[in-house]
Amino acid sequence: MIKVSDIKKDFPIFERQINGNKLTYLDSGATSQKPNQVIDVMSDVYKNNNANVHRGTYVLSSETTGKYEDVRTKFQKFINAYDSDEIIFTKGCTEGFNLLSNSICKNLNQGDEIILSEIEHHANIIPWQMAAEKYNLNIKFINVDESFNLDIDHLKSLLSSKTKIVSIVGESNISGMLPDIKEIVTIVKSKSDALFILDGAQLVPHRSVDVQDLGIDFLCVSGHKMLGPTGIGVVWGRKELWDSMDPVYGGGDMIEEVYYDKATWAPVPHKFEAGTPPFVEAIGLGAAVDYLTNISMNEVQQHSDSLREYAKNKLENIDGLNIIHSLSKNAGCTFAMSIEGAHATDVSLMLDTYGVAVRAGHHCVQPFHRKLNLDATFRATGYIYNDEEDFDILANAIEDSMKMLK
Amino acid sequence: MSIEEKVSNYKKTLEIFPNPQEKYQYLIEQAKKSDEFPIELRVDEFKVNGCQSQVWLVPEEKDDKLFFKSDSDALIAKGLVTLIAAIYSNETAEDIANSQIDLMEEFELGVILSPARRNGAFSMLKTIREFALKLTD
Repeated sequence: MIKVSDIKKDFPIFERQINGNKLTYLDSGATSQKPNQVIDVMSDVYKNNNANVHRGTYVLSSETTGKYEDVRTKFQKFINAYDSDEIIFTKGCTEGFNLLSNSICKNLNQGDEIILSEIEHHANIIPWQMAAEKYNLNIKFINVDESFNLDIDHLKSLLSSKTKIVSIVGESNISGMLPDIKEIVTIVKSKSDALFILDGAQLVPHRSVDVQDLGIDFLCVSGHKMLGPTGIGVVWGRKELWDSMDPVYGGGDMIEEVYYDKATWAPVPHKFEAGTPPFVEAIGLGAAVDYLTNISMNEVQQHSDSLREYAKNKLENIDGLNIIHSLSKNAGCTFAMSIEGAHATDVSLMLDTYGVAVRAGHHCVQPFHRKLNLDATFRATGYIYNDEEDFDILANAIEDSMKMLK
Repeated sequence: MSIEEKVSNYKKTLEIFPNPQEKYQYLIEQAKKSDEFPIELRVDEFKVNGCQSQVWLVPEEKDDKLFFKSDSDALIAKGLVTLIAAIYSNETAEDIANSQIDLMEEFELGVILSPARRNGAFSMLKTIREFALKLTD
């Protein structure tokens, strides 16, 4: 079992006091805090190894290249990919979706369909909207039901031979919903020849993900939500798919031969990684993968599940608090909340005075907030460095704030 | 009372409250006490962009002086915009445009007045200043 008090010692940010209180950080859904292991490895590379990767024929470049490429293998093992070449480094999930939409959609036919869900993050909506407009494609949205889960019957009714892409969230950053991806992939593949893309932004930091077992085609991940630095993420895809796809960005390092009138592409993964990559950030991500692997993703998952159970009971006992959270047995430790008559920003400003960090707004899921007739919610998410006491503090601070905002 | 005097008075009042929570409570009180804002003025034309909550500022010109009506759907933001509107109301466009006072520096209001340029208070002040500048052109 995870011992939060031991884990906290690895995260220097928890030494801070906020408004005279200990920091109760419940905004890991936006970005996670970083352990010393990640911070130190990045500082160490800058101090001892820094040189551009791939092209240098000297010691420093060879060391940095080795460290950078090792992360590909680490990440391959972390998500059980078939081959380390399937791991493409990006800036994060947003770039991952833009890369996929730009590369895949240009080969689709007018009228082809993309299926998303009503509760997607804007990063998994806007790139498809932009591609749909450019290539005359149609986007359809799977309904989210009253239990804040996907309506699978509705998905079945949307699928047809026109469906070319299904891209959905693995763990909702609003309701904590955990769709049964394996079941959904089976349904999608039996009723269409669509590619299945999984948004792993919230899922991969919290739960063990096996891309082979899930049967998916692509997975987008953000490094900064899983203890890694900002500016680094991963898109995993099956190698034969990457081989058949065109690059989106042109520049150095992604080419094989360049002439004044044409060029040929380097093999994957380099075909999709133009220019100097954020190699120090990638090495930081490698340290984050090591950190999570050392704890074990099963432990991380169990911690998320038990913390979710505790937080759910605690929050449900607050009179007048409206909770947007999956009613399923399993869900992520993420709770979007609203209070009748109190604005989410007022609540989050009040919570800040107790040292409680939560996010207020639409959390990049504006259409779903509109569907619920809510301008904004405030959201708390738990991670490996949070414990039951953090949710006690949150609950007390919410109750106090409710009194003050009446 | 000049803009500077009004700022100085509010500064003294805010200094009475030692912590952010009490300062926010003071702003909430100001919001609750503020004049009723006509619902028909809650339109995009008067909306201040860049705020996390919805904020409206309506300028009016009376006898060479500017007056600002304000509102927000969030209480703390409403308290803050009420204060800002009171500071710049009953002043000439010229005085507002020439005022060098930096509220972000003067008031210690925690995260709501942090000097971030994408901050709601910054947008409120910019709206008032731009309106005054338009009239002094």
